[in-house]
Amino acid sequence: MAGAIEARALTKTFRLPHEQRTTIKEHFLHPFRQIDYDRNEALRDVSFHIDEGEFFSVVGPNGSGKSTLLKILAGIYRTDSGEVRVEGKLSPFIELGVGFNTELTARDNVRINATLLGLSKRELEERYDEIVAFAELERFMDQKLKNFSSGMQVRLAYAIAIQVDFDILLLDEVLAVGDGEFQEKCMATFEEIRAAGKTIVFVSHDLAAVSHFSDRVLYIESGRPVALGSADEVVERYREAHGLALTPF
Amino acid sequence: MSAATGTADRSRPARVYAKVRGRLRILHVIAAAEFKLKYSGSALGYAWSLIKPLALFTMLYLVFGRIFKLGAISHYYALSLLMGICLVTFFNDATFLGMYSLVARESLLRKLSFPRLIVPTSATLTAAITFGVNLIAIAAFVAWKHVMPQWNWLLLAPLLFELYVFVLSIALILSALFVRFRDIGQIWELMVQLLFYACPIVYPIGYLPPWARKVCFLYPFTQILQDVRSIVLYPDLKPNRLTVADAFGTSAARLIPIAIVLLLALGALALFRREEPYFAERV
Repeated sequence: MAGAIEARALTKTFRLPHEQRTTIKEHFLHPFRQIDYDRNEALRDVSFHIDEGEFFSVVGPNGSGKSTLLKILAGIYRTDSGEVRVEGKLSPFIELGVGFNTELTARDNVRINATLLGLSKRELEERYDEIVAFAELERFMDQKLKNFSSGMQVRLAYAIAIQVDFDILLLDEVLAVGDGEFQEKCMATFEEIRAAGKTIVFVSHDLAAVSHFSDRVLYIESGRPVALGSADEVVERYREAHGLALTPF
Repeated sequence: MSAATGTADRSRPARVYAKVRGRLRILHVIAAAEFKLKYSGSALGYAWSLIKPLALFTMLYLVFGRIFKLGAISHYYALSLLMGICLVTFFNDATFLGMYSLVARESLLRKLSFPRLIVPTSATLTAAITFGVNLIAIAAFVAWKHVMPQWNWLLLAPLLFELYVFVLSIALILSALFVRFRDIGQIWELMVQLLFYACPIVYPIGYLPPWARKVCFLYPFTQILQDVRSIVLYPDLKPNRLTVADAFGTSAARLIPIAIVLLLALGALALFRREEPYFAERV
C-alpha cells in the first residue's frame, strides 16, 4: 500500500556537549576530562500509523521534536531505537526547503534538487516550466539564489517538492514564510494532492490550517506524544494547554 | 529504515539497473554543478586549472632544474617534473575538494536523504575533469620532446584508474573525519606538503638510497608516478624511471602498492558507511 507510514516507539537523543570539542587539540589538552553532555531527548517513544491518503498533522511548541520526527521519516536522521516503515515514494520539504545552494542559479538548483528527488532528465524537461510557473519566478531563474528573498526560495522549493513523483509529501512549516497569496496557492494544492489520494504529513503552527485540513493530528511536547486523534479534539487540547486563543487575530 | 517500494512491481535486475542509472545521473548533475561553482566569479575561470600547475612547474623548474642543476642530468627532466606536478595537483585538488565536500553541502545533507557517497565522489570527479585538461598540456610537451607514442601507453588507463581509486579512498576518509574534527583540514595541508617532498616529484628516485626507495614505493602514489614515467619516458635514463619491481628486485613487488590501494579503499568504504547515517546531525 503506497503512501502509508508505520512508526513504532521512535526515540532519538542528541548528545550536545556543553563545550563543543571538535578540534583534536582540545582532545589532547584534556584527554581525560569527561565532557558534560546535555542529553537532549528530541523524541521519546513516539508511535503512530498513517494511512494511505491521510492528511496527518503534527503540532507542538518550538523544540518539541516535530522537525526531528519529519527528518526521521525522511531518512535523514537515524533513530536510536524504534522502527519506521515508509511505504512508497516520499517528497520532503524540510526546514523551509529542499537544500538549495545559494551560489548557484535558480535553474541549476532546480536541476540538482529535482534530480536528487528522483526526476529523470526527460521528466525534468517536461515539468521545469510548471515548477517555474508555480513559483512565479520566470524572470529570476538565471540569477543566483543568494539574491532571492526567503519567500522566493520557499516558493521555488515547494514548487519542486510537489512536482516530483511521490506518494507521501512531508511538509515542515511551508506556510510560515510565504505571502498570503502563496499560502492560498499552497492550500489549493493540498486539496489537489488529497483528491489524488496521496498522503500528506504536515507540521505547522498555523492551527487554523491544521484544523481545516487534517484527518488526524499528533500533538507532541518535549519529544513525548501527548495526544493523537481527530483534528478538532487534539488542536483544542493543544490550545488549552498553551493558552492559545481560538483565533489568533 | 525507510524503504521505497514504489518499484516493487518490476523485476530485480531492472530495479537495480534503474537505481544505478538514477545514482549516476545524480552524480553527473552534482559534479557538473561543482565544476561550475569552482570557478564561478573568477575572470579567467577554467583557464586557472591549466595556469596553476604550469606556474608551479615553472617555479620548481627554475629552482630545482636550473639553480640546483637537476635539469642537467637528463634531457627529459622538465617533462618528468611536469608529469609529477600534474599527478600531484590532481591528488591535492581531489583530496581537498573531497574533504570539504560534505560540510560544504551541509544544507543538502540536512534536508534530503540520498546516498552520501555521491557528495565526495562528485568532488573528486570535478578534480578529475581539471586533471583531464592538464593531460593536454603534458601531451603538448611530449610532442615537443619528440617522444613517439607506443602501444604500451594503453597501460596508462589502468594506472590512472588506480590513481582515481586511491584518491577517492583518501577523499572518503577525509570527508568523513572532517565532519567530526575540523582540524583535519590543517593537518592535511601539512601532510600534502610532506608527501610532495617525500615522493620523487622534483628529484629522480635514483637519488634515494635503495632502502629509502623501498619505503617510498609503499606509498601507492610513488608507484603510479614511476610507472607512468617509465611507460611514457621510456628513452629516459634508467635511474629516473625505476619502478616498484626494480626497487624490490622482483616483479611480484608490483602487487604491494595495488594491495595497499585495495585495502585502503575497503577501509574507506567501511568508515564512510559507518559514519554516513550521522552526517546530517553532525555537519
